[in-house]
Amino acid sequence: MATADPNLFAKLHNFVVINPSLAGLAERLQLKRLVPVAVDRAIVEIMPPVVERSVTIACMTAYEMVTKDYAVDPDENRLRSAAHLMVSSLAGSLALVTCKEPLRVSLANQLHALLSGQMEAHVLEGALQVLVNDNLELGCSIIERAATDKAVRDIDKSLAAAYEARGNARARGQPFYERALYAQSQQGRFPAALPESLKPKPGLPQQQRVYEDFARMPRALPPHPLNASFRPDGAPPASPLQQPQDGSAVQVPDK
Amino acid sequence: MSSNEIETYVHQLINPATRENALLELSKKRENFPELAPYLWYSFGTIAALLQEIVSIYPLLSPPALTAHASNRVCNALALLQCVASHPETRGLFLQAHVPLFLYPFLNTVSKTRPFEYLRLTSLGVIGALVKERMPQAGHRVCGAMAEIALLHGGRTTLGVDDTDVINFLLSTEIIPLCLRTMEMGSELSKTVATFIVQKILLDDVGLNYICATAERFFAVGAVLGNMVVMLAEQPSPRLLKHIIRCYLRLSDNPRAREALRQCLPELLRNPGFTACLKSDDTTRRWLAQLLVNVGFPEAAAQLSNEMLQPTPLQGQ
Repeated sequence: MATADPNLFAKLHNFVVINPSLAGLAERLQLKRLVPVAVDRAIVEIMPPVVERSVTIACMTAYEMVTKDYAVDPDENRLRSAAHLMVSSLAGSLALVTCKEPLRVSLANQLHALLSGQMEAHVLEGALQVLVNDNLELGCSIIERAATDKAVRDIDKSLAAAYEARGNARARGQPFYERALYAQSQQGRFPAALPESLKPKPGLPQQQRVYEDFARMPRALPPHPLNASFRPDGAPPASPLQQPQDGSAVQVPDK
Repeated sequence: MSSNEIETYVHQLINPATRENALLELSKKRENFPELAPYLWYSFGTIAALLQEIVSIYPLLSPPALTAHASNRVCNALALLQCVASHPETRGLFLQAHVPLFLYPFLNTVSKTRPFEYLRLTSLGVIGALVKERMPQAGHRVCGAMAEIALLHGGRTTLGVDDTDVINFLLSTEIIPLCLRTMEMGSELSKTVATFIVQKILLDDVGLNYICATAERFFAVGAVLGNMVVMLAEQPSPRLLKHIIRCYLRLSDNPRAREALRQCLPELLRNPGFTACLKSDDTTRRWLAQLLVNVGFPEAAAQLSNEMLQPTPLQGQ
């Protein structure tokens, strides 16, 4: 179940946009009160299936990618960090591309239901278009955020055993890397048949970077005040994916 | 291209600074290196990088803002995924990771500009590569690059994942409505590839039962096939007609669909003037004759084939 932020409705009041061009209508129609209601209802209608589907797909894809790319990496923190970066980006992107048009339609319908009958049809249509255009991205960013949050929680559940296996190996002083490599070699020609340069090397900065790039990708939306308040961590952090730059990156860290 | 060069280009895919050129070089030469698919799949981060290429153009889909350059670039990435989709060692993994679903937003676009048309066609090419046997043959190449991508990689046997697995995947992810949409509004080549995919789905028992399970599904497919036939009267395309006829013939294997087709099969298919274009295509002419016999038009069938055809046995529920 997609869970919206419980304080969402209060926030909506602060973030809905009432275009100055509608000033004449705004007071008469109580737009400040009604537009948040419409945005909220549209989100409630559109969000659950979009988040459910986007998160399910993103988790399946990210799970397969990180368990493949980090199969021999003994460090569960790198695995977790890569998984979070990838799954947030994939889930958020899918949610945005899926929700935008349905949300536009739903928001127009909700506004129409709340405002119709109070003015002439052609005036209403014009006002609706302005209100929908001005507030669509607010709704999109809320749905995107719900998808990325759920995706991070869900991927951690899927990967719990993989995290634990690495922790356990370390606690027992077992060589995770060699064992994983051996297990792989029993599966088939690949990845053993890959040239050295293409094989996963735990902690190698040039390789880790591709997962860090997920955080650097421009999201669909231009910066929005709500997004900014949601994401104080907008800039990519110093990466936990990489090993300390002491020249030992290619070394097997697990001894 | 030597194995060393391939290795270098694959390695360059994970670096955004070298990626665009590597995409171009690899997509040009992908057919000459049979190990490319496992290299792409098993090398560190390569599929993650290709997924970045895909989702990074989502913001350009609506409102439509895809440039020719952005379209070409992502289509080169899709061409590499097509290798992965068609290679027996990677196809099952590709499906298990649900990578094809990231292409579905492309098939949902409606803009008719060339960058979008190219994007939809290339995406269909990846889906088409999942269903085995040959992709539709281009009679002539309207646009070399587009046809080339759509026609890649046929005829390889599948290992590890069988056809029914692929069909189940496609059905459960709702590819049919997306194919129908392309069959309604795509270019002739896109229509052909989309119809080919529906044909492959129908040829599997699971697919036939799925489409004939409800009247709504059957009539959705029937209406789109019928509209395409009508359109072909104005703009003939023998290769598209061939796939349409094969779809109808397969539908006629299902009892309820056979009954319904008696009413809704386009009359044009019984019109010798319209079907004259099949004169040199014995296989398709025989399919059409069999279809007409199945749904109860033996006289029309006799004009197409000298053989005495019997209705094919019914299948499924």
